[in-house]
Amino acid sequence: MGLTSESDAKEAMKLCMFDLRRGQTEGQELDKILFFYPADLPITNQLSVIGLSEGLITFTRIFSPDAPCEVIEAEKHCHVFYEVEADIWMVMVVEKENPESIWRVDALRSVLKEIHSLFVMFHGYIRALVDKEPSGGLVRSHLYYFIMDFLSDFSIGKKLQLPNFRDSLKEQGTLQMLTVGREAAIEVQSLVTLLESCVGNKQCYSMTMFQDLLVSTNLSPIDTLNLFTYAVLRLTPIALFRGASAWSSLRKTDTACSTYAGALQVTSISAIDQYYNSHDPPSLRRHNYPLVRPLQHSKWSKGKDGFLTTDIWGTEVNSLLPMCPTIWLHLTEEKMFLLAYQHRGLTVILLVPVSSVSGDQGISMLKQQIIENASLKMLKVEEKLSRGWGGENAYHVSGYRYLLVDGDRYVSRASPPGKVTTLTKESLVALSKLREEVDLEKARAKWDNSGREKDIEICIRAKNNSWLIARLVRGKELYMVLEKGSETLLFAADATEKFSERYCNGAFSLD
Amino acid sequence: MKDKNNATTSLLKRILLNCSAQAKQYGSCVSARVPEVEKDMCLKEFVVLKNCMQNVVWLVHISYSEGRSTWFDLSGVITDNLKKVNLHKMTGELSSSALSCSSGSNALSHVYIQYPPLRCNVPGSRSLFYDDSNKLILSLTPTQVFSWKIATYNPYAAPSSDRISEGPVLSIRYSLDLKLLAIQRSSQEIQIWNKDTGDTFSQKCRSESESILGFFWTDCPTCEIVFVKTRSVTCTNLLPGTLTRIEALFKAICDCSGLDMYTYGTESRNLQLVQTKKLSISWYIYTHESRLVLLASGMQCKSFTGFQLSSAGIIRLPKFEMVMAKPEANSNPILAAEDVHIITVYGRIYCLQFDKVAMLLRSYRFYRDAVVQQGSLPAYSDRIAVSVVDNVLLVHQAEAKVVIVYDIYADSQVPISAPLPLCLRGYSRANVAASHTSTKTSEASESKNLSDTEETTYGDQWQFLVPDLVLDVSNGSLWKISMDLEASSGISASSSEVQLILEFLQRRKLDAEKAKQLSLAIVRTIILERKPVPMVARAMDVLLAAYSQAIKTGSYYKRSITEEISPSNAPNAAVGETITGIDVSRSINQEPESVTRNDSSKRSIMDGSIEKTETGDLLEPGLLGGEDLPTGHSQTLGPTNNQLNSSASQRNQSQVTSSAATSPADFYNYVFSPTVEEMMGDGSYLTAIIVDFLRSCSLEKLKVYPNTYVLLVQILARDERYAELGLFIINKIIEPSKEVALQLLDSGRQNQQIRKLGQDILRQLSLHHDYILLLVQDGYYLEALRYARKNKVTTVRPSLFLEAAYVSKDPQHLAAVLRFFSDFIPGFKSSPDHNTYHRFVAELNS
Repeated sequence: MGLTSESDAKEAMKLCMFDLRRGQTEGQELDKILFFYPADLPITNQLSVIGLSEGLITFTRIFSPDAPCEVIEAEKHCHVFYEVEADIWMVMVVEKENPESIWRVDALRSVLKEIHSLFVMFHGYIRALVDKEPSGGLVRSHLYYFIMDFLSDFSIGKKLQLPNFRDSLKEQGTLQMLTVGREAAIEVQSLVTLLESCVGNKQCYSMTMFQDLLVSTNLSPIDTLNLFTYAVLRLTPIALFRGASAWSSLRKTDTACSTYAGALQVTSISAIDQYYNSHDPPSLRRHNYPLVRPLQHSKWSKGKDGFLTTDIWGTEVNSLLPMCPTIWLHLTEEKMFLLAYQHRGLTVILLVPVSSVSGDQGISMLKQQIIENASLKMLKVEEKLSRGWGGENAYHVSGYRYLLVDGDRYVSRASPPGKVTTLTKESLVALSKLREEVDLEKARAKWDNSGREKDIEICIRAKNNSWLIARLVRGKELYMVLEKGSETLLFAADATEKFSERYCNGAFSLD
Repeated sequence: MKDKNNATTSLLKRILLNCSAQAKQYGSCVSARVPEVEKDMCLKEFVVLKNCMQNVVWLVHISYSEGRSTWFDLSGVITDNLKKVNLHKMTGELSSSALSCSSGSNALSHVYIQYPPLRCNVPGSRSLFYDDSNKLILSLTPTQVFSWKIATYNPYAAPSSDRISEGPVLSIRYSLDLKLLAIQRSSQEIQIWNKDTGDTFSQKCRSESESILGFFWTDCPTCEIVFVKTRSVTCTNLLPGTLTRIEALFKAICDCSGLDMYTYGTESRNLQLVQTKKLSISWYIYTHESRLVLLASGMQCKSFTGFQLSSAGIIRLPKFEMVMAKPEANSNPILAAEDVHIITVYGRIYCLQFDKVAMLLRSYRFYRDAVVQQGSLPAYSDRIAVSVVDNVLLVHQAEAKVVIVYDIYADSQVPISAPLPLCLRGYSRANVAASHTSTKTSEASESKNLSDTEETTYGDQWQFLVPDLVLDVSNGSLWKISMDLEASSGISASSSEVQLILEFLQRRKLDAEKAKQLSLAIVRTIILERKPVPMVARAMDVLLAAYSQAIKTGSYYKRSITEEISPSNAPNAAVGETITGIDVSRSINQEPESVTRNDSSKRSIMDGSIEKTETGDLLEPGLLGGEDLPTGHSQTLGPTNNQLNSSASQRNQSQVTSSAATSPADFYNYVFSPTVEEMMGDGSYLTAIIVDFLRSCSLEKLKVYPNTYVLLVQILARDERYAELGLFIINKIIEPSKEVALQLLDSGRQNQQIRKLGQDILRQLSLHHDYILLLVQDGYYLEALRYARKNKVTTVRPSLFLEAAYVSKDPQHLAAVLRFFSDFIPGFKSSPDHNTYHRFVAELNS
């Protein structure tokens, strides 16, 4: 097993994080490493990966001090670089031997970005942790558990399944939004103000979700994205259900033939836990840090009062009540209590400044107040939203397989996954390539003339006669696959035009 | 007169079972002195009888005697014996404020009468009558009748006069077209005088035993005048009766008592009996406002039969009994006509019955097919009078000298505010204090000279007229009772229920503009005071719901009414509603009502028929509101009005906003835009308020004034809440409009995404010209050109594109743009632009 102790199976993916400011002297190189996956890789191998990476970074910096090195494409490997914080780098090494291993570098890098931004949301900046305890034990143990928990979500069976060409009609690191009618939107908005009034005069934030789609928020875009990502992973009804069913099937111990996602995770959870027991690096065992593992599976549950509870953040010293979760806001670096209320499909997350609430008593009072004042309204909002909700395939447009990205607002919308799987492998691989090209073009345009957005229009006829279309207009992107199209380019252009007029308010209609 | 007295005495019969001996003594005393009836004339006997009846209070209405008309108020005699109620103490506390009020200062009082009153005394006047059908005050001299029109209350109105022949007058009423004048000469005879021809005609009772209680004119299609008759019973008949004898008596009464309905034949010039309704009647009450006549019968006079004689026909209401508390097991109090009031509020008809034993004012509501008791209001005085001002019920606690105000719209029994004295406004005299001492003493010593104390509120001489007038019969002054909305809302605004006050204000029709301003001011105030959002939201809900209702019924729009309508003849078929039915007819029925009751200052009246002098005083420019008047909404009144045209007496050319409804535009102008300036720092609160406002609007499906959105954009942009702003735009919480787009572009100078949203709106609204200009401005001239070609926009000058291309220093682009215009605009090649930029291209290339 990839994650477990069967070390003869070669790990297809390596992931490391290192700090260039540490271990500068000869023999101290090990000190650089903040995280390495797989942890049981011999130290020399670890050091060689990091050494190569560092060398490349240093070398490319000579030519491009601001953006040193992004990717190394080797024959068998691909190294994806990402500088998470100043002088702290993450490098992901993926192998190319597998026929499924057709990656898009930007998609991989967005995984790295996601790891980092989520980590920062829960634990604060890595640099700050490093500075807090120069020995590195604290940051290492935090990173270790956090990233391992994070990666467990990508594991399918024995392997980590990173976003590959099959996900090319998906955009990592974006929000998926529910389209609501005006009336419902106003209703939601007035719910938000009602919640705010429950908190009192202090500035608080809220995020309203329906199923795993965002409805409304007043958070800054970055915080929204982080919190949204976390909610989709752990808090939404679907995530909770996944957790619960995993737990139940764990008890039944029948995981062998189940293809159900929850069951698959069971193996990975147990695998990771085993892994922790047997493979904790010696450095971690020496310290006993109070660890918070926000990404741990099956830890959230819905309480009787409708609020989601977890003991991830430990329990109160005097009582058995679980501590209220806290997160850091990106922009203000303020610590916030996280309260999540759930009613059927509706999840309302409320962030209240830690400084404004007096401990857990204040929190339970606040909860009481919300239940008293707002629960009825939430019921109403949920009803309204679920009435307007078209279900899983609500955003399917027949004949089209599409991805819409609004880069300004980090919002994307795509054909439902079930529909995307009907596409042939050729189409998807070709689209992946096309996107790779567009990514490059975008990056180039960014360097060429900053502030000016370039409009791009690409139409490609793939080998299997499907049309692949990419259109970038003023910061908005549209990718489409039309498999059953006719021969002419005119058809493709027409189809795009029609789609743009009908579903995008004509945003992609050029001429 | 004698018969009338007898009729009253027949009431006494009903308690003979209990107090026969005492009653007989009193009855014989009274009958012995008829017709010289005076106040307190059989006091001794009465007190005995009263003691017997255990503080039963009743009033005997004796007709007008020589010199002055009196309400022969027996209850005044026994006031002292009656139990003192709490309010008497309250009176003491309030007396100080009563003083300050009467002195003319702006005191705490929600109900007031405005000085000066209408003086209805003419030299030689014998008595005053109120003709509520035509809203006339009639003053009689031996040979003349003077009439003041009071439909539009004007204290300086001059009377018109008609000659009448001499003789006793028990009652006098003009027909609804004012062409006929009916005078009740005795209990047997009614004289009708035709003004046009000068003919006089007398209608007499068929038999001696009949006695006419009264009469009234009606606009019923089948008849014109209705006589209410009863069996005349003389006091000599009142022997200590056995039951059988009384029964026989009743039988006799039933034979000839009832309603006689007549039409007036213009050719024959006499009355023709159309219909007779045989009923036992002890006494009756009628108000023209409700078109309802209530006929009391039974031992306690508490069984009622009602008829509504409206233009829609005659409706007989089901018989019903009023509830009366018994002071003791064996005594049965008798209900008097003065204790029953018919009131019309919100187009509904209620009857208020004053139960003096229980000290309650019981209310009954009339439906077409039922009479339903609604509950009761407390009474704190032995004399209760009732007025209705602008659909608000005023209960005058005469002895306590306070008014309690009820708005019985939602059947609530809770007064709007604490009891406060009736205020006299605009009156100042040096001897205020002196007159007040007389005010206080006047109650005790009733013989006090009243000529000096015309500001005596709730004196015994006060006669309350339907619906909102007070006639001081002693000196012939007529007061109009008004409500001070500001005071009443001010008083109640301190209470927590802002919602209720706003609902109350929104129902006001009389001073609608004031009510509207007050409503807006209240909302503004609670926003400025940063009251909780839900509270403000509820307040806005109330106002917008009222507005939407007003739009639906059409009462919101200013109306230019040119039809002739007779205010007093406004059809009021409220009884027409059934208990199960929805009250849809209400608002329509009320419209003419609200027009007629509007303040004279707000309308211009051109009087067509009688008093030409009136126009000079009252002609004022029409009310100017700030609202847009949508065309096609000028109100046409229903057919019921048209058929009344022949009998119309007034021509109204008025422009009236008869509703206090506040439009979304008003909200912007009077609430949001002033508050935003004052609350710069509290963007999130204001955002919440405006969002709730939008929610209310969408709930009522009202169109939001576009500037409200602009304001919201400004607030959000100022607080740099761009993400939320984006969400608002995308979810269309802020509806797209050009104003919003321009504001977004303006606010978007700091934030590119917001600017883009503005652009998107321009594009979506197909504001091509602006969109292209914007693209060119931002340097996207090629895109702009493409867009211009696609949407065939030719209004943007070519030089703009060329200039933008030149600035970009790209000779290829410039050449392309030049080529574009050369190809697509005929004659461009010879224009100076072409030459200039052609040279530039060459320069750039070199």
